[in-house]
Amino acid sequence: MKRIAAAATAVLALVAGCGGGETAGAGPIMGPSDAPVTLRVLAGSELLDLEPVLTQAGEATDVRIQLEPIGTLDGAEAVASGAAETDHDAIWFSSNRYLALQPGAQARLGTAIDIMSSPVVLGLRRPVAERLGWVGRPVTWAEIAAAAGARQFTYGMTDPSASNSGFSAVVAVATALVGAGSALTLEQAESTVPALRDFFAAQTLAAGSSGFLQEAFVRRATGADPGTPVDGLINYESVLQGMNAAGTLPEPLELIRPADGVVTGEYPFTVLAAASPEARDAHRRLAEYLRTPDVQREIAERTHRQPAVPGVVPTPSGTAVELPFPAQADVVEALLTSYFDKLRRPSRTIYVLDTSGSMAGDERIGALQRSLAGLAGADPSLTGQFRRFRGREQVTLLPFNTTPESPQTFTVAEENPAPDRQRIADAGAALLPGGDTAIYDSLQAAFRIAEQQSAADPDRFTSIVLMTDGENTSGADIAAFRAFVGSRPAVPVFCVLFGESSVEEMEEVARLTGGRTFDARTAPLAEVFKEIRGYV
Amino acid sequence: MTAPAGRRSGRRVLSWLLALALLGVIGFVVLRDVGGQEPEPPELTVVTGVIGSEKDAFFADQRVRDAFRAHGLELKIDPAGSRQIATTTRLDGYDFAFPSSSPSADKLLAQRPAARTYAPFSSPMAVATFAPIVELLTQAGVVAPGSTTFDVRRYLELAAAGTRWDQLPGNTSFPARKDVLLSTTAPCQSNSAAMYLGIASYVANADGVVTDQTVATQVTPSVQPLFRDQGYLPPTTEVLFEDYLSAGMGRVPMALVYEAQYLAEALSPDPVLPADARLLYPSPTIFSRHTLVPLTPAGDRVGELLTTDPQLATLAAQHGFRPTDPRAFAAAFRDRGLPEPPALVDVVEPPSFDTLEGMLSLLGCTP
Repeated sequence: MKRIAAAATAVLALVAGCGGGETAGAGPIMGPSDAPVTLRVLAGSELLDLEPVLTQAGEATDVRIQLEPIGTLDGAEAVASGAAETDHDAIWFSSNRYLALQPGAQARLGTAIDIMSSPVVLGLRRPVAERLGWVGRPVTWAEIAAAAGARQFTYGMTDPSASNSGFSAVVAVATALVGAGSALTLEQAESTVPALRDFFAAQTLAAGSSGFLQEAFVRRATGADPGTPVDGLINYESVLQGMNAAGTLPEPLELIRPADGVVTGEYPFTVLAAASPEARDAHRRLAEYLRTPDVQREIAERTHRQPAVPGVVPTPSGTAVELPFPAQADVVEALLTSYFDKLRRPSRTIYVLDTSGSMAGDERIGALQRSLAGLAGADPSLTGQFRRFRGREQVTLLPFNTTPESPQTFTVAEENPAPDRQRIADAGAALLPGGDTAIYDSLQAAFRIAEQQSAADPDRFTSIVLMTDGENTSGADIAAFRAFVGSRPAVPVFCVLFGESSVEEMEEVARLTGGRTFDARTAPLAEVFKEIRGYV
Repeated sequence: MTAPAGRRSGRRVLSWLLALALLGVIGFVVLRDVGGQEPEPPELTVVTGVIGSEKDAFFADQRVRDAFRAHGLELKIDPAGSRQIATTTRLDGYDFAFPSSSPSADKLLAQRPAARTYAPFSSPMAVATFAPIVELLTQAGVVAPGSTTFDVRRYLELAAAGTRWDQLPGNTSFPARKDVLLSTTAPCQSNSAAMYLGIASYVANADGVVTDQTVATQVTPSVQPLFRDQGYLPPTTEVLFEDYLSAGMGRVPMALVYEAQYLAEALSPDPVLPADARLLYPSPTIFSRHTLVPLTPAGDRVGELLTTDPQLATLAAQHGFRPTDPRAFAAAFRDRGLPEPPALVDVVEPPSFDTLEGMLSLLGCTP
């Protein structure tokens, strides 16, 4: 459960009013079964928008709910392995569909109660939608793919191995473009029809979580981040409507709901089979409350999701077609593998790795070597399988100490990628600690490498991962880097906080470049390296 | 979570003492004032049950709760898929299980012998759909013009040919690039899908109930695509029916549900059925006999009341179920000024639990 604890960047505890059992004399006397209960829930991060509703629910039902955000796939893995039930009572993701495919997972689930729903759709900046002629008429995924293939627009989407919105989009697009009238077969999932490559070629922004994706989109749109604004986002309809309602965008997003079909998240609030009778009862009370018409209406108003209870708000138009979702684990795995290794725009990642003297020891250089080996294929877990180095990916290792060392670049083969992955692991295993810490000289070197590589092969996601365990002790300082980066094409830098690295400086580097920081001081370094893979 | 545990429990003890003292005083005053004129309300026994989700609305109905309260019972209900109830649900701590079919109940009985079971009401399987879909199905020969009969054999032919909605002749109302498939629940979890398997396998077996494993092995491959091609399926019929009601035609053009689910909406004081909602009856169809298996004496009492209490029979009819006494069912429609649903003649029996399990395991379900 360490990983889950680490992934919980924000634990939200919604506390009901003062405990009913302690207020004698006033109000009804409550027996032990009605005492306030805390329900510990592993949940999708986008549920944090329900906070006010859940606070009221806590007051009304005496059930406090503690949401611990985690990615869909990580959550599914934790439930299927039984790890989740050691310290959680319930789960609440946008969908249990992925989870249901995991062997043995079904028996670990108790009652599932749908609370609300939202389809995954495309939101486009209005002028772009107008230019493409997509306003006020039905548009199909095939048309969208054709325009994407001709680079007529760009979009952002979450990593489908980390987040359900990206995952649903891959399913919808593949099902529609393969032309399947029923759930995808294994052969269809493995196929790479040209239209699918076209569709994913226009993706210029990726993220391991929908929160970061939204923020990055808004920051680019408003000019707060370097880099060209992205034209659109694939996300839940509710998230896109929420962005429009927040008024933070310079121009509203036009919502394109593809006529050939969508995949919808239905938010089943699900108690775990191993939960105590008290937790089971609390889950039922809370779910009943959340499904009362007033609360359903409030959820619809606040979160833009469609209520699960019929008749609370007008039924949406009958023509939004729901695409079938594959129900076989091998089909889903083939679809994800094909997305990462064949369909997705290939990525280029430059790993700037601290090998200074302070990195000596198994818990530092050893952990770094194991992290690289994990990404190279040694990690057998489900998430490890999807986040290892991908077919067609370009990986550069740039070790540094007193000065940047010479970079080693690997391009992973599309067919038979294992030998290339092994070469990366071997290069990691050869790293030796010693010397000072020239962070900014090395980062600048990484930017120059990125420019050369981009000039030779422009059509890739390009990002830099910086891992250092200490402060800058050699060469250029942060001020010099600030000046340097202002005049350069944007490359996001994802910084790993490790050992004694300067949090302030790392956060500034991330901010200056449109990247973000990841904390490896409280979580295993290998897990953090894996998490970053959702962003590069 | 701030007060130290010792102080907290000390305060709690004090609270309870004060509360008990207060209750004593109130009790004395009440008894002195009304002494003997009114019977004391019986102490409520909490009874917990796990039920097929399609009966959730019935048990959640305040009138049903009150009817049980009048007999001293307070019901706490967990909905679940019927096969889940028969196979994976942990039954310890429940007073009764109330799956939606006799095969599931038989399975439960094998593990948890009970002196008797109760089948207070039943409901045929039906197809909830929309007027434009009925029109398309009529043109395609699945529905006889002007009738509510859904010809399963003709439908299975369309499905076996992989026909898409947009390939149906003259279809302008629902030109979806999606196969013509009846939406169901997951057969591994839910009874209604297992009943559908019973219907489809009957037709595929040249109009004969599948009674042994050899025939099951021959027939199952032809019905498997009906489920597989749908992809991920909802775990319970309640979820499926809610999807039908709240998401509209695009998500669920036609769904196999219990007749009771649809009728309950039609009979409700504030129905949420879409204006163009329609109900069709598969031919043949299967009646699901909702069967209560008592696990404790308190659960047995629930079964007995459901079977004998006329008010509960009336309420069951108002929730769309066909009680053992047909008069309650007819009265429910008469009272609401609605035509009574047809008496069904083309009804077949479900396969036995073991045969059904045999087919389900061929579909990839694990026990």
